[in-house]
Amino acid sequence: MTATDIMPEAADRRSWAEWLDGHSGRIMVLPAVVVLLCFAIFPLIISAYLALSRFALAPGGFTLKFIGLVNFRKLLVGSQQYHLLGKFGTFGFVQSVLLALIAAGLFFLLARYLLRGRPTVVGTVGRLLATAMAMGLAALALATMAPGGVPGTVVNTLLYVFVGVSVQFALGLGLALLCGQPIRGRNFFRVLFFIPLMVTPVGIAYTFRMLADMQKGPFAPLVRAFGISEWSWATEAWSARLMVLVGDTWQWTPFMFIVLLAAIENQPRDQVEAARLDGANGFQIFRDITWPAIAPIAATVVLIRLIEAFKIIDLPNVLTGGGPGLATESMTLHSFISWRTQDLGGSAAVGYMLLFISTIVCVSFFNFVVRPARRFEA
Amino acid sequence: MRIGTFLAGVSAFAALVGAPAFAQDKPFAGVTVNVITQTGAIQEPLQRRAPEFEALTGAKINVIAVPFSDLYQKILTDWASGTNSVDAGVFAPQWMVDYIAGGYLEDLTPRVEADKDIQQEDVGAFFRDFSEKYSGKTYMITLDGDFHMMYYRKDVLEAAGLAVPKTWDEYLEVAKATHGKDMSGDGTPDFGSCIAKKRNAQSYWFVTDVVGSMTQSKGTSQGTFFNTKDMTPLVNNDAFRKALDFLSESTKYGPPDELNLDVSDTRPLFASGRCALNLDWGDVGTISIDPAQSKVMGKWGAAIMPGSKEVLNWDTGKLEACTAENCPHAIDGVNHAPFAAFGGWGGGINAAADPKVKDAAYAYFSFMTQPAQSNADVTVGGTGFNPYRTSQLSYSDLWKKAGMSEEEAKVYLGAINDSMSSPNMILDLRIPQNQKYQQVVLDEAVSRFLAGEIDKEATVAAVEEGWNELNEEIGKDEQLKLYKATIGAK
Amino acid sequence: MSAEPRSLARRLFEPASIDSQAPVARIVTYALLFLWTLVVVVPLYWVLITSFKGPGEVDNGPFYLPFVDFAPSLQAWDFMLVQNYTLRPYMNSVVVAVASTLLAVLIGSLAAYALVRIRFQVKLAAVAIFLILLTAIIVAVATFGVRWEIAIVVATALFIIALFTLVGRTKHAVGNNDIEFWIISNRIMPPIVAVLPIYVMFQQMRLLDTQVALIATYTAINLPIVVWLTRDFFAGIPLDLEESAQIDGASKFRVFFTIALPLVRSGLAATFLLVLILAWNEYLLALFLSNADAQTMPVLVSAQNTTRGPQWWNMSVLITVMIAPVIVISSILQKHIARGLLVGAVKG
Repeated sequence: MTATDIMPEAADRRSWAEWLDGHSGRIMVLPAVVVLLCFAIFPLIISAYLALSRFALAPGGFTLKFIGLVNFRKLLVGSQQYHLLGKFGTFGFVQSVLLALIAAGLFFLLARYLLRGRPTVVGTVGRLLATAMAMGLAALALATMAPGGVPGTVVNTLLYVFVGVSVQFALGLGLALLCGQPIRGRNFFRVLFFIPLMVTPVGIAYTFRMLADMQKGPFAPLVRAFGISEWSWATEAWSARLMVLVGDTWQWTPFMFIVLLAAIENQPRDQVEAARLDGANGFQIFRDITWPAIAPIAATVVLIRLIEAFKIIDLPNVLTGGGPGLATESMTLHSFISWRTQDLGGSAAVGYMLLFISTIVCVSFFNFVVRPARRFEA
Repeated sequence: MRIGTFLAGVSAFAALVGAPAFAQDKPFAGVTVNVITQTGAIQEPLQRRAPEFEALTGAKINVIAVPFSDLYQKILTDWASGTNSVDAGVFAPQWMVDYIAGGYLEDLTPRVEADKDIQQEDVGAFFRDFSEKYSGKTYMITLDGDFHMMYYRKDVLEAAGLAVPKTWDEYLEVAKATHGKDMSGDGTPDFGSCIAKKRNAQSYWFVTDVVGSMTQSKGTSQGTFFNTKDMTPLVNNDAFRKALDFLSESTKYGPPDELNLDVSDTRPLFASGRCALNLDWGDVGTISIDPAQSKVMGKWGAAIMPGSKEVLNWDTGKLEACTAENCPHAIDGVNHAPFAAFGGWGGGINAAADPKVKDAAYAYFSFMTQPAQSNADVTVGGTGFNPYRTSQLSYSDLWKKAGMSEEEAKVYLGAINDSMSSPNMILDLRIPQNQKYQQVVLDEAVSRFLAGEIDKEATVAAVEEGWNELNEEIGKDEQLKLYKATIGAK
Repeated sequence: MSAEPRSLARRLFEPASIDSQAPVARIVTYALLFLWTLVVVVPLYWVLITSFKGPGEVDNGPFYLPFVDFAPSLQAWDFMLVQNYTLRPYMNSVVVAVASTLLAVLIGSLAAYALVRIRFQVKLAAVAIFLILLTAIIVAVATFGVRWEIAIVVATALFIIALFTLVGRTKHAVGNNDIEFWIISNRIMPPIVAVLPIYVMFQQMRLLDTQVALIATYTAINLPIVVWLTRDFFAGIPLDLEESAQIDGASKFRVFFTIALPLVRSGLAATFLLVLILAWNEYLLALFLSNADAQTMPVLVSAQNTTRGPQWWNMSVLITVMIAPVIVISSILQKHIARGLLVGAVKG
């Protein structure tokens, strides 16, 4: 793709075909690169410019005024800090201990890399960056969830990502293990359990709004029987967040399930048989044979899900509009609401913060979890 | 715009609508107009009447519908980016100021003046002089009247021996007394008060309803959002604090998930008989007489928004009892300030559209607003159109056909009339970027307050600081000038 | 001896062989699977029956069984499918999803194949200069009002000059792994960051509100996933098959289409389905890039939330007609999904 080759003149068809063949690699990759340049790199640069400007309407169109980092300053330390980062609570004993534990863990990992491995410049810088990010996010989450604090959209998004993906993985793995046993109708379950993935997220959001209606939803009689019809999930921060997670989990567990089931079906059966003859129990077989066999796949599906989970918007937008308060607002929704009210600079700034966080998290996960998991297999 | 073309268009149109006999002579044959509006109500009548209009004039009306929450930005993006795929829109007059700032909206003044069939003198003065106009020029054609009103269950209040609330305190008393009773007849307890309090929906309008009745008492031009002296937000005072108290108190007598209800949820709730009191636009009235949806036919009433016996002293920030001097418009000692929230859906035309298309779009809006069409449409719940013409406020065969009894009509249309003719009506905030003031700062702060994320003082501080920050960013002096101009303050 | 009870316990809790299941374990397994079946089916069932309800049945509900506790009506179906133009958004969705998926799979698998089989060396300096010039174009156009045609011509000229003069002397280069990683990492980008520039781009090309705009955008956002999944299918093909074909004089393209692609068809089927589902259900970009002509189904679903209340019955009809075809397709491709996703994910 460097243009160091000088194009040979196409004298006749034969040499033209030869030329084509000689350059086939570049020609094969070119469409992908062009598409991504147009739809990823170019928009990213424009958005970066937007994030540093203020948009205003003016006769005949609009103006963009360059204002430097004002949009970011506003979000990180200024008047919108409560929105993006949240309101900090009092950092008590529990929070300090937790943070210290996390710091110790991260420090241990870092130290182990530096002392035991052969540290490279890129590896060290990457790890330092990942460690700093992890520490920062952990401190932010602890501080805003402490008494008196209110989590902002960053912490909400992290919650959807980490809790959501963990639960989906656990459920998907559990279901895959169940289906991986010698049972009847495995293909039936495979197709049935796959269906939620096919429903459009907007549709899922509305479906769960119907289901979760305490007055006229299908569970209303149950709610009344328990005498909690005076309570609603929609008015409390944690129950509202839980509702968003329920919808997300309903949709994405199938993805984990289908891939993990395929992996389990593919595990070395002779080893399982041999272990069983040796009297190993189910847990031992899982630990020694199944898990090592599926670990690389598991790491990869989790990564795919992580990437997608950061973009969550449809569910909170429809279920609660981001409320009550800011409780369910994700970063994409935050950015979307800013855009809807003409604050294009602020919207782009939030988008960039999201890009920054999700890139570091996903790349770290790839380097520190997916790669080792694959090596483990080899 | 060349005057010649324009006059030709108007006269051709006037001839045609005035005298349907010439209908075969179609002035707009082959013209297609893309009209954007929200999905559902509003879209329905525009779409339903399009074929009639096409038969009459030859112009094809192509209605584009997008969800309400995306409408403002859709129109703006289309026009600001020069895409201009939208020739005309039916939207909120409040947004007009931003569209005019970009020069996207066509000045309709000469067209309206030349158009006799539109019968502007029949249109409510508020809509004619305020909603349709900006700095003296007409930019929109009103198609719908919009007021916040209070709805109540006549049967429930009578059975409990309660009077229709006139003040916010009485509202709370009635809500408290009726909450938990079975009003829909299904054996389950129902609710004293239903107000749409969902975030990113309509809740911020209702805040203004309550605040306004305490901050504005000396007539429309006094205003309720800012101090007209120096653009200080009228927030850090007892009136705003009391309004916040009202909101959190009324939540106790509402449905458990009230914080997640927007008007599209509370309307069916009232119509299915589950609320004793409700605040909303005129739509609840027409939905309540719709046999397909209503279980409260003949059991409901409407009234002007409750008011306050105390009003704010702007200088001290304290509430003072109403006297003849500080509440000149009070009725029985109660200061009412009906809120013309939203100001009624209206049609505006893209200035960059083709002249022929602009003429056709104008002709279409004129057609829609003429009594022959409009007076029928405002009686039907599905249209989303509410009365805005004087001729629509008297009981007619059309109302009867729609299923409204004369008694109901007296109450419902009377409430509209009371609000529409009040000298102390609250006007919408119509300064540039008003969406940021209301939909972002106010809505977010109130939503966080109701969810318990922040306390009353922090809410007051959040709104005050947010509005001040916007004033600084956009330009305080300019905003003050425009604010005073829109409410007619000196 | 306690042989009897032990063997009973054995039979209950431990299977005799790998292909059978002990009775208790079997009961527990089926009970849990049944439970999850309920979790999956109840929401879908509720959507389905709601589509046969009207305002009365929804507002005064809950009602569970058609014909038993409420009289089903086809009114919503009639309203959405007969009276309204649901067909157009539906066809839009079909065309956009299928076309963008085919394109993404074609372009993506070509790139993935090349990245697996051919060694690339791109000078780092060339990439850097390219990015700098791109930024310069944007700044020049946005702040100094330079015409974009002129900016692009000048920048292209500068780029070519730089390539021949400066770049040749530098040493650092990026290889296949870096290119691959760059392509895949594009998926991390949240669409909200890119949507406004993409909007302006299509507006300049007069392509807003067309199927073309949506097809191009969806192709781009799903491309990284295709490359990610398919690169490992290709890596898994034994080299000798292709080599023998190449000795016979077949071109790389020929080898790709006649040998490599058929060998990975399971993987392609799985990729195709996953990307199809993503494109079929996409909402945010469709909302921005379409008005009326190119409106897709997810946008229509959300548009049923009106000021008269969410039209649950209409919405349910739309959701139902959206799920149906995907279920059919995935039942057909079922066998491939299992195999394909596996291969892709193993090395992913």
